[in-house]
Amino acid sequence: MTTEAKKRNIPDLLFSLLTGLASFTIILLILGILATLLTESWPAIRKFGFFRFLFTVEWNPVKEVFGAASTVYGTLLTTFFALLFAIPTAIGIAIFVTEIAPNFLKGPIGAAIELLAAIPSIIYGMWGLFTLAPIMSKYIEPALQKWFGSLPVLGMLFRGTPLGIDLLTASVILAIMIIPFTASISRDSFNLTPSVVKESAYAMGATQWEVVKDVVLPYSKLGVFGGAVLSLGRALGETMAVAFVLGNNHRIATSLFDAASTITVTLANEFAEADSDLYLSSLYYLALVLFGLSFLALATAKLFLLRAEKKYSR
Amino acid sequence: MTQEIDLEVKGLQFYYNGDNHALRDITLPIYKNRVTALIGPSGCGKTTLLRCFNRMHDLYPRHRYEGSISFEGRNILSDKEDLIRLRSRIGMVFQKPTPFPMSIAENIAYGLRLKGIRNRTELAGRIEQALKHAALWNEVRDKLNNSAYDLSGGQQQRLVIARALAVEPEVLLFDEPTSALDPISTGKIEELVSVLKQDVTIIIVTHNMQQAARVSDMTGFMYLGELVEFGTTEKIFTAPDKKQTDDYITGRFG
Repeated sequence: MTTEAKKRNIPDLLFSLLTGLASFTIILLILGILATLLTESWPAIRKFGFFRFLFTVEWNPVKEVFGAASTVYGTLLTTFFALLFAIPTAIGIAIFVTEIAPNFLKGPIGAAIELLAAIPSIIYGMWGLFTLAPIMSKYIEPALQKWFGSLPVLGMLFRGTPLGIDLLTASVILAIMIIPFTASISRDSFNLTPSVVKESAYAMGATQWEVVKDVVLPYSKLGVFGGAVLSLGRALGETMAVAFVLGNNHRIATSLFDAASTITVTLANEFAEADSDLYLSSLYYLALVLFGLSFLALATAKLFLLRAEKKYSR
Repeated sequence: MTQEIDLEVKGLQFYYNGDNHALRDITLPIYKNRVTALIGPSGCGKTTLLRCFNRMHDLYPRHRYEGSISFEGRNILSDKEDLIRLRSRIGMVFQKPTPFPMSIAENIAYGLRLKGIRNRTELAGRIEQALKHAALWNEVRDKLNNSAYDLSGGQQQRLVIARALAVEPEVLLFDEPTSALDPISTGKIEELVSVLKQDVTIIIVTHNMQQAARVSDMTGFMYLGELVEFGTTEKIFTAPDKKQTDDYITGRFG
C-alpha cells in the first residue's frame, strides 16, 4: 500500500473506530447494569436462593421475609390481560386505517394514534385513578359481575367488591397505553402488502374481509408479531400508569377485581422505605428478576421471528 | 366466420378522479372463445379498458363509467351488478405474478373455497385439473404443499393462471402477463393462451406487438383513450385502414 493510500485510510479507520466504540458502549452498559443488580442483590440471593424467592408469596418487611411470587404474578397477569385487550383492538385499528377508512379519515386517525403514544405514562395513571377507576367500579365491573359472575370457573375472575383499583383497571390502562404502538407498527406492516396481490384477490371475487384475512394478515404477520412483542416489553416494564390503579397489594389475586402489585410498582413504591440491607437487597433481587423476564420475553420473540422469517423467506 | 359475441362494449366513457377522461366512446365486440388483443402506446387506456371488464376500478374512489358493457344479457357497469359474482365469472391475470402467501395447492383452492367448495376430494380433483390446464401439474405435482414463492417467476404466473381457471370463469383478462418474464416462460404462457381459448374468452393487453400477432384473433389499437381501429389480427397487422395504426405497428411511433 502506498503512503498516499494509507493517508486516505485514516478517516475511514477513525470512522469505524468511533462507530464501533458507540456500539460497544451498549454492551458495556448492559453488562454494567447486570453486574450492579447481581452484586446489590447478592445478600438476598444468598438468603432466599433462586426458586424459594421466586415461589414465596410472602413479602413482609417487618419479619424480613421476601418472596417474588406475588409481584411476578401481578406483572405477568396485568401484562397478559393488557395484551389480550390491546392486540385485537390495535389490529382492528390498523385494518380500518389501511383498508377500510376513506382517504380523508386516514390522516386524522393516524395522527391521533401517534398522539396517544406521545402521552407520558404518568398522565395515563392520573386519568386512570380519577376517571377510569370510578367508571369501572360504578358501571363496568358490576355489569361484568352480573353477566359472568355466576358462570362456573370463569365466574371466579369476577368475584369480590368492585372497587375500580384492581387488576382489571390496571390492565385496561396498560392496554390503552400499548395500543398506539401495536397499531402503528401493524399499520406499517399492512401497508407493505403489494397492492397488486390484494387486487388479484379482489379479482377472484374475494370480499374486503376475505382479502384482509387471507392476504393482508398473512403477508404482514411478522410485522404484527413484532409490534406485539414491543408492546409486551413496554407492558412488562411500565410503572407509573399501573402504580395508581393497581392497589399495591402483595397477594396472589384470583379475581380481576383484586388489588395486586407488579415488580415495577413495588420498586417505585418501596425503595424509599427500605430500611434494612436485606429489604434493599431484595428489591434489587426483584429488579434482577424483571431484567430476566424482559430478556426472556424478547429472546423468545426473536427466536419466533427468526423461525418465521426462515419459513416465509422469499 | 360467424361468431358469438360474449361481451359487448358500447359507447364506454371512463373518468378517473371525476374529470380525467381516460376512455372516450369505446365500442367493440369481444367474441366468444377468441383471443382479443388490446395494443397501443403507454397511457393509451388499454389497461384502463381491461379493468372495466371486471370493475377493478371500483376498488378506488372517484371513478365514473358511462355507456355499457353487456355480458350474459345485462349491463355489468350498472350499480346493481354483483361484483363478487362478476369477478368470479371474469378472471384476471396481472403483470407480475401474484401468488398468495400460502401453499401451491391452497392458492388454487382459494377461489374454490370462496365459491363455497369445501369437500376435500373435490378440491384435490379441481386443483389437479386446474394445474394440468395451466400446464404446471408435472412441475409441481410432488410439492403441492410447498410455498408458492418457491416457484420461479414463470411458474408463479402459470400458477396464477391455474388459480384463475380453477373457478371456471367465462372470460380471462390478461394485463401484460409476460412483461416480467424471460423469453422461455413467455413462450409457455403464449402457448397456454392459445390452448385456453377453447374454454374461455380471452382479452389480453400487451406492449409486445409480436405477441399480439402471435396469440390473438382480433386486435384493437388504442391511442389517447380512443379505440382507433378494431379488426381481425391479420387485417390490423397486414392492411390496417387507419394510417395511425399502420405507423404504430410498423414502429414509426409509440
